[in-house]
Amino acid sequence: MTATTGDKAAQRDRARWLRAAVGRDPRVRLSVALLIADAVAATGFAGGIAAAVVAVPKGMAAVLPWAVLAMASGALRGLAAMLAARTGAAGAETVKLTLRTRVVDALLARAPGSNTTIGTLLSTAVDEVDALDGYAARFLPARKAAALAPMLVLAAVAVASPISAAILVATLLPFIIAMALAGGAAANESRRQFVALSRLSGRFADRIRALPVVLAFRATEREAEALGRAADELARRTMRVLRVAFLSSAALEFFAALSVAMVAVYCGFNLLGQLPFSVPEQLDLGRAFFVLALAPEFYAPMRRLAAAYHDKQAAETASDRLRTLPEPISAPATPMPVGLPALRFDRVTIRYPDTGRPAVNGLSFQVGAGETVALLGPSGSGKSSLLHLLLGLAPLTSGRVEIDGAALPAGASIASLASWAGQQPLVIPGTIRDNLLLANADASESELARAVHEAGLAPMLARRTDGIDTRLDTRGGGISGGERRRIALARALLKPAPLLLLDEPTAHLDAAAEESLIATIASARAGRTTLIATHSERLAAIADRVVRLGEPA
Amino acid sequence: MTFRELLARERRAQRGLLVRAAILAALTAASSVVLLGLSGWFITAAAFAGAAGTTAALAFNYMLPAAGIRLLAITRTAARYGERLAGHEAAFRALARLRPQLFRALAGAPAEKSLALGTGEANARLIGDVDAVENHFVRMSSPWGVAAALASGLALIVLGGIMAALATLACLGVMLALADRIARRFAERGRAVQRAGGELRETLATLAGAAPELRCFGLEDYAADRIATSSRRLASAQRRQAEVAGWFELLHAATVAIAAGTALLLSLAAGAPLAALAALAAAMTIDAAGPALRALLERGRLQEAEARLEALVEAAVPPRTCSPLPADYSITIARPVSCRITQGEHMALNGVSGVGKTTLIEAFIGLRPVARGAVTLGGIDLSELPVDAARSCFAWMPQDAALIAGSVRENLLLANPGADEVAMWQALADAALEDRVRALDNGLDSWIGENGVRLSGGERRRLALARAYVATAPWLLLDEPSEGLDAVTEAVVAARLADRLDRTGQGVILVSHRPAMAAICNRSIMLESADTVAARDAA
Repeated sequence: MTATTGDKAAQRDRARWLRAAVGRDPRVRLSVALLIADAVAATGFAGGIAAAVVAVPKGMAAVLPWAVLAMASGALRGLAAMLAARTGAAGAETVKLTLRTRVVDALLARAPGSNTTIGTLLSTAVDEVDALDGYAARFLPARKAAALAPMLVLAAVAVASPISAAILVATLLPFIIAMALAGGAAANESRRQFVALSRLSGRFADRIRALPVVLAFRATEREAEALGRAADELARRTMRVLRVAFLSSAALEFFAALSVAMVAVYCGFNLLGQLPFSVPEQLDLGRAFFVLALAPEFYAPMRRLAAAYHDKQAAETASDRLRTLPEPISAPATPMPVGLPALRFDRVTIRYPDTGRPAVNGLSFQVGAGETVALLGPSGSGKSSLLHLLLGLAPLTSGRVEIDGAALPAGASIASLASWAGQQPLVIPGTIRDNLLLANADASESELARAVHEAGLAPMLARRTDGIDTRLDTRGGGISGGERRRIALARALLKPAPLLLLDEPTAHLDAAAEESLIATIASARAGRTTLIATHSERLAAIADRVVRLGEPA
Repeated sequence: MTFRELLARERRAQRGLLVRAAILAALTAASSVVLLGLSGWFITAAAFAGAAGTTAALAFNYMLPAAGIRLLAITRTAARYGERLAGHEAAFRALARLRPQLFRALAGAPAEKSLALGTGEANARLIGDVDAVENHFVRMSSPWGVAAALASGLALIVLGGIMAALATLACLGVMLALADRIARRFAERGRAVQRAGGELRETLATLAGAAPELRCFGLEDYAADRIATSSRRLASAQRRQAEVAGWFELLHAATVAIAAGTALLLSLAAGAPLAALAALAAAMTIDAAGPALRALLERGRLQEAEARLEALVEAAVPPRTCSPLPADYSITIARPVSCRITQGEHMALNGVSGVGKTTLIEAFIGLRPVARGAVTLGGIDLSELPVDAARSCFAWMPQDAALIAGSVRENLLLANPGADEVAMWQALADAALEDRVRALDNGLDSWIGENGVRLSGGERRRLALARAYVATAPWLLLDEPSEGLDAVTEAVVAARLADRLDRTGQGVILVSHRPAMAAICNRSIMLESADTVAARDAA
């Protein structure tokens, strides 16, 4: 029974986490109040229509006020439903925003190379956060209303016919048992369905990333078929979940209809005076009609709750991933040296969580103040990991990193000292100026001009009518790879940082572009300690020292 | 083929289920209307019979209506269950077929276009937008429900009077017209939900890849802000869409009550039992239009999703089929360098880094556009050859050694689905990776993670090499196969490659700046940049 106990504990964790995530939003209480208002209005409708039917023989004048009451009550129900929808949506909005902020914080702090992929990141931050929508907007209010609203209806029925009310109470227990069974039945299957969805989404993202290989090996058709099979699997799982969900809601509907029928049989025989036993009440048309019109409303809040079970399961499944996200860690304070920093790496090993082999294994080297050191090796040899380590983006598994002789604490970052230019520079929608100023918002016009000049960006700006105010889109439309790299370099130079980190700054450039960029880097690094990760021998040649990284052991 | 046509084809494919859903929707609506109408009449008539005295009460036939009510209650429940099941099954089956179709469309687009699509954007379209299309299938049965409810409703209400029936008809008409106006007026909100979802995914994918820059420039708050802005835009678009749903709720509930009241007031002359019947039947007639209203509500989202998917599908180009196939596999290159490589040759492609070796290789396999007259394969211009015919001639090992998320086996089978175990192990052995794979927990079936994250850089490269070996193409195209390998491993890889080429008779076009690899080639060509050529010509 350990598994069951484990399941129960997991279930409790989930429930606790969801309560904390959704919080005590006052809007949930408002939604509940509105759902209860709906039950009150339903009573008004039943009363109005019953009295109107009774008044039919007396003519229009007698019927009209009751008919108006019924219509007004109906409109009121609509109003309550509308306001409940708005309130629920507003509450869900707050919940989703708060949660997504937390998810994004955790994901931005994630180390590159860790096992979180872009595909799972997107499904976590978008789809799984959205999965809490129905939970906050529908399930929670429905659950609270389901405890109260039926009692109100029951009280109204009891006023008209205590025996009908007693019949409803008698059906309550079996109804609740049926509901609990329906709710539990699909929970596991529902979780598996969400896993299948996330797997499909991950597969899509992966095959889009590896599309060149898929195309080159003419595997499009096979991959499409495999995706079709994954999608089929998802469809089958979804249908299995839905079959249970629909069946249980049908069972509840049928059960409710059966209970109402029992009340109807009682009312009918009572009206005809043909009950086989004596009862202390004699119904008339008005009371009987009222009771019958209201009886389905007794079950409606509980059926609404059952219909929201899927929302609950979706939220619980999402919570499984959301609550295991790492807490964003704030880097410990590091004493920052003044002047040009010297770095020492001593038997440094970097191993990302959940990977078999270290990315860097027992590497030692030094970078003197103002020196340029090139880390030379193929992709995957751990060059970038060493740069990430300095920014607190990769874990120091063992060994020591020293800045001017002081050890860098685990998880610490010397980002405030450092500037960065990489092979896939961040380009934000905006002008080239906007993109440069990201590094130093307070830079003066002359500092900007110097960075542009040093990075060799001037010829490119001169070719464009808007110059530095040329607009770029996220994909970097309209600029070449080399120009993108120069923008990144100019940006890095604009920050008055004593440590320059360059990650493959010349990768995938043509020879001429590479040569001229190397010359630019050679002059631009002056007055900084520079660490370059590259696989280009020619770029490495400008360094004072070259550290060769082979295949990780 | 447009997305609309794809959708129409799926509708045809799922016709059986959709027809079933429509019939059951009609049955559900009709039995709902009749059930409530009959119940109202029954209880009222019973009351009047009871009030008229014992004889009238005894003469009142309660058996038949009571049996009818029970039958209708069962029918309604069963039909509703069947309808929801059939509708959703049609939707999910259609989606399961649409997704691979969309992948085909994406892969069939010109390479420069398909390879430029961002991960976030591709994810948004293939997941987010496709999900929006699901509703389209589920709601297709809704008009039939409305029609059946109206037919059965009018048939009952007319017992209370023709005016009552007309009033119900008017209520339904006004409600649907109003709903249509609201849906039109707020269609933009539904569209905004789809767009905001795509934008959030794209922003996330862009910023999540730039962690070092964000940290160095103190931009983490800025990034969080930008994501928060996108996130707010999506959440507020979703809330505003939910508000429209609120208006629909109000409209629907109010119309139900008004229709019931009006039908009652207009059927007084028919007597209380028939007036009760008319009132309840009118209420249920309007009630049955609920699914149709929800379809209207989702219209904006659906239109936007369709438009975005349409853009994805439109980019696909029909494959070239006309040209004759190459007679042999010799290659003639006119630009950027002029040379002829005969079938089975071992050719090294040299030149300084960045001169365009990778570009040329990628042009061979249609990942980059190739100019007319630049390259011919077996005497046929590469720009006219069907791209799959060209690809079938080359087994490529890309410079970045990209792998798919999956097992070793899945990666090898990608190159040749017909490869058997022997061939796979031989390829791994020739790439000097056999021992490593044998040592893995599950051998060929070991999971290597996204882009081979569980392997080292050199192992990834050798797996990509083994994958190229598994393909049975006349040419191997190897782009830096030994980069990052230690000298001993490199020597083994080079020697086994030479043996393999002798065995298979394949030709190789090799890009490598490592002498040990280049040594297996018997010819080499030098690629020069246009600038260098111009400078030399000028000299």
